[in-house]
Amino acid sequence: MSSTLTDILVGGVSRGAMYALVALGYTMVYGVLGMINFAHGEIFMIGMFSCVFAMGVFSLAWGNMIVLNLTLGIIVAMVISAGYGYANERIAYRRLRKAHVLAPLTSAIGISTFLQYFIFLTVSRDAVNFPRFYSDYLTNHHLKLGPVDFSYLQILILGLTFVIMCALFYLINHTRLGIALRATAQDQLMASLVGVPVNKIIAFTFILGSALAAIAGVMYSMYNDTLIFNSGYRIGLKAFTAAILGGIGNVPGAVLGALIIGLTEALTTYGFGSEWDDVSTFAMLMLVLLLRPRGLLGERVADKV
Amino acid sequence: MRKLLLSLLPVLAVLASFVVAGCGKSGGDSKTIKIGLAGVLTGGDGQIGASMLNGSQIAIDEWNAKGGVLGKQIEPVVINDEGDPQKAVTAAQTLIDDGVVAVIGHFNSGCTIPASNLYSDAKIIEISPGSTNPLYTDRGLPYAFRICGRDDQQGAVIAGFLRDQKVDKIAILNDKTTYGAGLAKVVADTFTAKGGQVVASQGVDANDLDFRADISVAQGAGAQALVWGGMYKGGGPLCVQMREAGLNVPFVSDDGCQDQKFVDTVGKNAPNVFVSFGKDYSSTPAAQAFSKAYKDKYNSDVGSYSIYGYDAAQVLLTAIQKAGTTDAEKVAAVIKGQTFDTIQGQIEFDSKGDLKVADYVIWTVKDGKLQELAPSP
Repeated sequence: MSSTLTDILVGGVSRGAMYALVALGYTMVYGVLGMINFAHGEIFMIGMFSCVFAMGVFSLAWGNMIVLNLTLGIIVAMVISAGYGYANERIAYRRLRKAHVLAPLTSAIGISTFLQYFIFLTVSRDAVNFPRFYSDYLTNHHLKLGPVDFSYLQILILGLTFVIMCALFYLINHTRLGIALRATAQDQLMASLVGVPVNKIIAFTFILGSALAAIAGVMYSMYNDTLIFNSGYRIGLKAFTAAILGGIGNVPGAVLGALIIGLTEALTTYGFGSEWDDVSTFAMLMLVLLLRPRGLLGERVADKV
Repeated sequence: MRKLLLSLLPVLAVLASFVVAGCGKSGGDSKTIKIGLAGVLTGGDGQIGASMLNGSQIAIDEWNAKGGVLGKQIEPVVINDEGDPQKAVTAAQTLIDDGVVAVIGHFNSGCTIPASNLYSDAKIIEISPGSTNPLYTDRGLPYAFRICGRDDQQGAVIAGFLRDQKVDKIAILNDKTTYGAGLAKVVADTFTAKGGQVVASQGVDANDLDFRADISVAQGAGAQALVWGGMYKGGGPLCVQMREAGLNVPFVSDDGCQDQKFVDTVGKNAPNVFVSFGKDYSSTPAAQAFSKAYKDKYNSDVGSYSIYGYDAAQVLLTAIQKAGTTDAEKVAAVIKGQTFDTIQGQIEFDSKGDLKVADYVIWTVKDGKLQELAPSP
């Protein structure tokens, strides 16, 4: 039975890391703009489709070189997603930046639905399989430490989450660009008066957030074997919850919140059955918000300076 | 239960408004006969639902080419219920208001059941090509028919198959839909009645696509087989993740996984994968002529439910022709009283509106395709 429990914990941590990869992008945009980008889940979905498409093209062009094609596929996905993220910002958000707070939010929901059905109508109405050829090595090889058993893919996901979290934290708190990001987050007018190119900084935030979403998308589609046009919706919701739980806008908070949610879901399945996992997740969210309304680690990048 | 009640609320609301508005359906003087084609055309089940209705469309084309039915051309009215019970009720009301005389659909049991109340009150024949949940015809609706088997028959075939394989303990997962959960319950009941033991039974959200926690639980409980009640969009990843976790026991699914996409996900020669479905008709001449017509029109291969969609339209139009009227009462009497020649062979309906003989068998994955498992001696 104990090996079942360790399996459950391993699965929960991996699922949490999956949520964390998405939550990092969410929280980044919120931290700088104070705006929840509901289209983040769709950028994530576009990332996974771009990667699979690119890998198909590469394997036609020069054959099935697993590592090369996968790496290039991820890079292409990041570039395409970043393009979509930038376009979103220019088309749907920039002109609404000074409008009432509900206006960009509504616009984001609109973009989210638009992108979902755009992919549905132009790419695939049905689930598409992630090519197993690329993922088999990672899923079939395991690292065993006593009863703990991680597949290489799970290790890759956990590693990426950790590296990206540290890199973002460093970027925001220890670089000149980070100072500009934080200045923009605190007060856009003041920042522009002291020479921070606010528009460029915000565009950069979207580009970076979207590239991260693409990485998350590729990992997710590898981990769960399928791509479908609405897969961004549910994980987007969970990642959003994770970001709130950890304190939205806070980078380590998003990872912490995501891991807690992943583990809660897994342990609920173990103890009560998977029918209860949404109940326990959201009950916990409410409890945390009642006790700590700004999330576990507190809100917004700028406030932590 | 609560969910069921909630999903019935809009039905009641719509019915109430229907009564208040005083049902002013007119018709009879139009030049065409309208037939509703209702089913899921978008979302995860969109492909399978669309290929089902495409099958019906081909039958209607054939009849129209021969001069229609009762001397009038048939006008199909296609409507998408998005696989959502509440939208299915709206869709049903739209069809009724549009003056259809009969409906082929819906696909998901969760949609067919609430919609059938409306059709029945409006005196409209409904033939579902794909809804297998027993509740659809068990409520004694006079105009509700299905041209596929029922989940109690299907569940019994699955449970019997597992017992034949000397399996004592099974784990069951379902996708929390009316269809998946209903089937899971039937399998559990029949399997227990046959002396087996159900060690885990859970509903999962098929959109989550991460079933590892449930797989660990099933593995820990010593399941000797895993049964999936639901569609292939969840079944495929579940099967793959189960193998990754080292759980190599048989994976048995219902007809929701009867789709080439499922094979694409699990692999060309996935061992120990079984799916229950109707018999394989593809080698019969009638089915081959149908596949060709389908390919010519839609430029794609037939889906698993296309034949059922085609047969449903054939039965409906034949019955209308024989009854000499579109009056639901008389058409229903013809459907219940006669034998019909379809791609499935000769079929007859019982007094509830189900097929007299369900044709469930077990299929397996072999050489990149789902194939009927050779019957054990």
